[in-house]
Amino acid sequence: MAADAGAVVAAFLSAVADHDLDGAFALVADDADVRLPAAGVNGDAAAARGFLHATLTAFPDLTVRARRTVVAGDGTVVVELTLEGTQAGDYLGVVNQEKHLDVDEGWLFRVRDGRITAIHGYWCQNQVYRRLAVRRLDQPAIV
Amino acid sequence: MTLDTTPDVTGSDATNATSGRTPGVVVTAFFDAYRRHDVDGMVDLCSDNAEFSYVPFEAWGKQRVLRGDGKVRTIGKAIWAGLIHAFPDLTVDVHAIAESATGDVVAEVTIGGTQALPWGAIANRGRHYDEPHLFVFRVADGAVDGITAYWDGAGISRQLGHLEVD
Repeated sequence: MAADAGAVVAAFLSAVADHDLDGAFALVADDADVRLPAAGVNGDAAAARGFLHATLTAFPDLTVRARRTVVAGDGTVVVELTLEGTQAGDYLGVVNQEKHLDVDEGWLFRVRDGRITAIHGYWCQNQVYRRLAVRRLDQPAIV
Repeated sequence: MTLDTTPDVTGSDATNATSGRTPGVVVTAFFDAYRRHDVDGMVDLCSDNAEFSYVPFEAWGKQRVLRGDGKVRTIGKAIWAGLIHAFPDLTVDVHAIAESATGDVVAEVTIGGTQALPWGAIANRGRHYDEPHLFVFRVADGAVDGITAYWDGAGISRQLGHLEVD
């Protein structure tokens, strides 16, 4: 099961890296447990897809580079990855200044029966804001 | 906050031949020590040269970027002691631990506390925070040999009333 879980998550991230959200979310259960605390997202697959759509739209050259993958025997998969891209549109309230983003993140997935049933993404929004030249958390549109 | 002192450890049966302890058991003991605010106990569960990386720790200076990377016995120990000093009621709530067949262990943990002293650039306003964390451990020969952690530093700052990014 562990190897299968790793392959499912690798296929998901590969599709995201290809900006193919239809392909990515064909692997995700509709009622998946999605938690992206830095983005204030708690919900299901649609919530995760909405966040990734906004990210890929704002950073059309976004790349996803997996640095380390841990595949546990219970179907838990953690991927340490680096996201890089150049802002080309407003993003979660941050005006576009064409800044370059590079952020190290940790994403935890749970896989059951070949489908992703949980997506928990961990990163520091302060690191995102620094790179996009935001100075205050309550005023992301003011740089 | 409910403290889960016996989190499920799921995954492999990769019991270490030297210590007789699985990597998951070692990491559970690490968080038990953290929960007791026993920094020396945390360090003792790590190898002498254990690597340490708290990814959100980052300060941009004029000439360079300072990061929370280094060794457990230098950077890690100081960060843990400083956090416990500033948040004397610090809680460590382990939600889940899972391990791979190769000695890697991952854990989702909520860390929280009430601020009693300034912490880094964050002045003490007496506020409380709870923030989910993801930990990734590498365990070898019955000891933690590497720790990486991810969380949203902005989430902590907001809860403590610090609204500047730096």
